[in-house]
Amino acid sequence: MFELRGVDKRFDAVVALNNASLSVEPGEVHALLGSNGSGKSTMIKILAGLVNPNAGEILIDGNPVEIRNGYDSRKLGIATAFQDLSLIPTMSVRDNILLGNEPRNALGFVDQKTSDEIINRLLERFQIDCDPDDYVQTLMPSTQTMLEVAKAVALKPRLLLLDEVTAALHYDEIQVLFSVMRELKEEGIAMVYVTHRMNEVFEVCDRTTIMRSGESVITGPMDDFSLDDIVYYMTGQRPDKSKKDVVHIHSDEGREIVLDVKNLSIFPKVHDISLRAHKGEIVGIGGLQGQGQPELIRAILGAIRYEEGEIIYDGEPSTLKSPSKAVKNGMGFISGERNREAIFPARTVLENILAGKVAKGKTFAYMPAKANRAFAQRAVDKYNIVIGSLNHPASSLSGGNQQKLVVARWIAMQPKLLLLDDPTRGVDIHSRLEIHEILKACANEGMTILISSSESEELLSLCDVIYVFYEGCVSAQLTGENKTPEKLVAAMMGMSEDQEIVSTMEAKA
Amino acid sequence: MIDTLKNSFTRLRRSSFFAGFVLFIIALVLNAALQGPASFFSVKSINTLFAKNAAFILVAIGQSLLLIAGTMDVSCGIQLALVNVVTIMTHQVWGIPFGLSCLLGIGAAVLASIAVWVCCSVFRLPALLASYAMTYVIRGVNVMIMSVPQGKVPKEWYMAYDSQLFGLIPVSFFAILGVLLICRFARKTPFGSHIYAVGGNPRNAFAAGISPVKVQLKAFLLKGVIVGIAGLCLTLMIAAGNPLQAEDYGIRSLSACILGGLGFGGWGSVASAVFGSGFFVLIQNSVYYFFSLLVRLIPGFSVSSYWQNFVSDVIIFLGLLMTIVTAKGRQEVLREGIVRQFKRIDYRKSPKESEGKEVTTHE
Repeated sequence: MFELRGVDKRFDAVVALNNASLSVEPGEVHALLGSNGSGKSTMIKILAGLVNPNAGEILIDGNPVEIRNGYDSRKLGIATAFQDLSLIPTMSVRDNILLGNEPRNALGFVDQKTSDEIINRLLERFQIDCDPDDYVQTLMPSTQTMLEVAKAVALKPRLLLLDEVTAALHYDEIQVLFSVMRELKEEGIAMVYVTHRMNEVFEVCDRTTIMRSGESVITGPMDDFSLDDIVYYMTGQRPDKSKKDVVHIHSDEGREIVLDVKNLSIFPKVHDISLRAHKGEIVGIGGLQGQGQPELIRAILGAIRYEEGEIIYDGEPSTLKSPSKAVKNGMGFISGERNREAIFPARTVLENILAGKVAKGKTFAYMPAKANRAFAQRAVDKYNIVIGSLNHPASSLSGGNQQKLVVARWIAMQPKLLLLDDPTRGVDIHSRLEIHEILKACANEGMTILISSSESEELLSLCDVIYVFYEGCVSAQLTGENKTPEKLVAAMMGMSEDQEIVSTMEAKA
Repeated sequence: MIDTLKNSFTRLRRSSFFAGFVLFIIALVLNAALQGPASFFSVKSINTLFAKNAAFILVAIGQSLLLIAGTMDVSCGIQLALVNVVTIMTHQVWGIPFGLSCLLGIGAAVLASIAVWVCCSVFRLPALLASYAMTYVIRGVNVMIMSVPQGKVPKEWYMAYDSQLFGLIPVSFFAILGVLLICRFARKTPFGSHIYAVGGNPRNAFAAGISPVKVQLKAFLLKGVIVGIAGLCLTLMIAAGNPLQAEDYGIRSLSACILGGLGFGGWGSVASAVFGSGFFVLIQNSVYYFFSLLVRLIPGFSVSSYWQNFVSDVIIFLGLLMTIVTAKGRQEVLREGIVRQFKRIDYRKSPKESEGKEVTTHE
């Protein structure tokens, strides 16, 4: 039996785990559920030896153990298939599977014959179609994921950790994986299974632990939970569809088309995407993570190249080759990855707000200090950003206020088209609502907004049209009465035309 | 027969050292043509070529191990001088047998390697900067041991180095062969694949239970021994001591490895280093013969050796540019391969989607 008790993990000020617990019995598939950032992956990483907890203990068969690195973890019989893969792309399939676990002969050399047997048996079991001497980087992403699982299983573990492995897999591959999991269950191997796809949970899992903001909220047999219960424990509230604040009215008639994307394809994530945004419209992009949403937005902005298709912006085919040209042509871009793509943490609040204005102006244009301060102060007042002073570094603000700062930076520019890539990721609920209000107000004034989000709630409450992406294609376009949580979730799973998945979920609920 | 030939050619073409191999062959043909095949392929000429350049080729092999492990050492060159001064001075001052001095020389190279490892892998300083700084530290140590060029090597030792086995194969060639065999055996052990994993992606190697620091230590130790042997080759070749020589071997061995097709971390093989350094050596040789040809053809023509160096360095620079082209070509091939696989899946997927629908209703 494997047990985690009272585990704490802090990354500086951010609490990733707070008194979290998990216990897994041999021969069970244990679902570890929770929304993004609830600490599931951190739990996995602690067991895999990649992260050392600040407090708490790990027990195996009742004995406390210490896992300091990947080697310790393997020694204790724990194998992990990571979400972001632990394969080495420049090595062959054979070397990857055997890495750190090479069968040796009497002389200490790698035993070629035994390793061939292991590889062939494994590739057959997982129905992976590839040459053992192929380099991993030439394989399909889904094949790589299967390989990642195969590599973990090859270690013959007592505890197998599967961290969102099905996100990149196709339907038939998932079925192969499930049949292997059932075999392993028969052999008495304990498994922890992390996923966002709820139908899979009901299909293979025996028990579940649900996490919310770093705490393990509840543990119990899968049969005791309905889909609604799971959502409740994950979010802490029953779905509430009553209240509405700023009403954003919108009609298609007579509106000019600001953005028209036709059959866009970007290697390798986006295959065929068409969407259209009118003036004053809020267009949402939904879908599971990694279905091509960030790529589309960056292609519109000119940050990445696209292979096929056409982007028509403001009535003319877009020939934008860089984000700087896009900004000069009236686009704005707000990224959810604040630290990497939006905030200059060490620079002052003033400079952060002015960054957008600077980007649009002439390189050597004179900027009077007084006007700058007034401009920044207006933005701070208007959008309710809580700051110490305009001269404090941006890193002194809370996450939510940092994000409002980025929003203010771009809205103050009055762009014609505002692109947002998961803007409220890691932003607290209060700031999130404020950002929503700001966006709605801007749309009412005629700004076109294209927003990608991983949160269904956000899209449903904010958008006029929702395009749902699945595997690089638009699987549904939801407007008006079609904008329901059920249809959104179904489309996110790639089941737009046939509604089986929805009915199964309803049956469960 | 033809098929197997074809297959082995395809394998060669896809191997990481192909670019280096082509460059090497070009340089070989060029050199043979300029020098005259009869003269070039004579026992004496081959012997001189190996005896003079064994040290450089060995340093490149040592450097290639580090590059594969995701690190590097530009102080390799001055480490040769360290081996040189330690060997000469321990023999001269302490009066110990020369063979023992040679072992001490190798030991000194291993110690220097460990020092660089501590800086690069343990303290995680950028390898290029840290090992460059170490160049000056080691240079200081060299001068402390031997202040001015001096000393000599017992005659039978350097005579033996300059001789040929069976009147045909240079002794220096065996030094290279021995080191290559060691590398070949190491490749067959788990270390041989761990080194690629650590160079390719240290975090994932760590997740697989491999300690990147330990693997890099092993690579540095092996490199230390190889540089030690290279230092002995140099010592036997010049038969004297000089604390400030061969410093440029460090950076040159690095470019030889890149020429041969090694990437920074986890890509390429020791063969790349052999062909890359072979190209280096042959080009320098060719340029020398080219200029002596000019002197013979054009009466009154004379140039300084600086011009020779300039021309050979320009050719090497062009070679480095060519590796960028081949690397790009390789990326294209990789990309095409991925696109092909995508198309195959799309083609396979369409009939399967209908199957998927049926199965989802099983609840």
